[in-house]
Amino acid sequence: MPLAIKLILFSLICAIPAGLLSFNLLTDNLGANPVEALEHTTGDWAIYFLLLTLSITPIQQMFAPKWFMPMHLVRRVLGLSALAYALIHLAVYFVFDMSADINETLTDIAERPFILIGMTALLLLIPLGITSTQGWQRRLKRNWQRLHKLVYTITFLGILHYALLVKADLFLPLLYMTLFGILMLMRQFKLPRLR
Amino acid sequence: ADFNFAPNSNFRPDLKLTDPEHALNYNNFYELGTDKSDPPRYADSLKTDNWQVRVEGLCAKPQTFDMDDLLAFDQEERIYRFRCVEGWSMVVPWIGFPLSKLLDKVEPTSQAKYVEFISILDRENLPGQRFNILDWPYREGLRIDEAMHPLTLMTTGLYGKELQNQNGAPIRLIVPWKYGFKSAKSIVTIRLTDKQPVSSWEQAAPDEYGFYSNVNPNVSHPRWSQAKERPLGSFFKKKTLMFNGYAEDVADLYKGMDLKKYY
Repeated sequence: MPLAIKLILFSLICAIPAGLLSFNLLTDNLGANPVEALEHTTGDWAIYFLLLTLSITPIQQMFAPKWFMPMHLVRRVLGLSALAYALIHLAVYFVFDMSADINETLTDIAERPFILIGMTALLLLIPLGITSTQGWQRRLKRNWQRLHKLVYTITFLGILHYALLVKADLFLPLLYMTLFGILMLMRQFKLPRLR
Repeated sequence: ADFNFAPNSNFRPDLKLTDPEHALNYNNFYELGTDKSDPPRYADSLKTDNWQVRVEGLCAKPQTFDMDDLLAFDQEERIYRFRCVEGWSMVVPWIGFPLSKLLDKVEPTSQAKYVEFISILDRENLPGQRFNILDWPYREGLRIDEAMHPLTLMTTGLYGKELQNQNGAPIRLIVPWKYGFKSAKSIVTIRLTDKQPVSSWEQAAPDEYGFYSNVNPNVSHPRWSQAKERPLGSFFKKKTLMFNGYAEDVADLYKGMDLKKYY
């Protein structure tokens, strides 16, 4: 199968949650609070894709699997998917929570730390998305890696944004934080080759 | 016993009702789980057979009421606004009777300054009570004048039927000018006290959920604005009204109080 087709297919797979969400939106199946459903689902998937992106390197080191396309492309599509879901998440918040009002949004950011933290994570993710191509990788040379290490900070801030939002049940944010912690720890050691 | 009630047209008959599907399937009832879909899903684990409500504390005639006693009060249907502290709202027809009628029966003494409401404790059956997300059982409280206010409703039904478990069956409180969590569900004890009770949410996060928790668009929750609310089923928000639209009836209760301090 040509690489381009593989790329498109894998991107489409990553878009399935968005497709389901759109379908449920159009068929009025998002329940009593559709905006909240849109925000929570897109936020969840942004975090899932960030964690998946961070899993690629340790998986590569331990299992050296034969990926269906070059590993860096798998990781790029996953990272760009995280960005896409985060952008939809922001758009829903801006249009339906903030009535598409810039001033109201700025006030919200200024007054609420969890909004500021989420916004910071998203703003940091945008340059990573833009510079994800091979062209930018060549142009930035060693700085490309430095820049893309920001994904660690971004994931941490994304999960923190979620943890600060919940009312009492911290189970899921703590689970995500633990997974993030494990993925970070794995980068501190030379991982055993298991296959 | 048959479930009989009469509509009371004095209570906002002009407001457009929320789709019953939303009120029945989107619930905060942490005894049954923290996700909004948990309460309808685990509704069966709330056992309401032979329910009794004990009314005790600083009163001349402490009594235990069973459901037949409680349904013997004239049941009326009132359409109220309901505003959750999380920023969503609904308009639903509750069925019940003023709490004051129940309190009158036990004859509160002059020392009774507050009323504490205690919800069901059943760790064995209620899935949410297996986790100490809140200090179970759920407790809420009102000042006695708030409790005696004619808007304060002991609620036994919703949308023409007896309360569904996910909505706090068989009997709950509804205080329409306060955030929804003040309206304790599945109540088993009502206690008259001389000290301000500490409610469960107040205990869990005192800077976020105050004792009064009156709906107030001018006082933000620490993590979100309360200026607007999203009616269930709609995409866009509308402005939140002072005291949830009941200012005319209840503002006098708080005359001279700093509502930013007593949030």
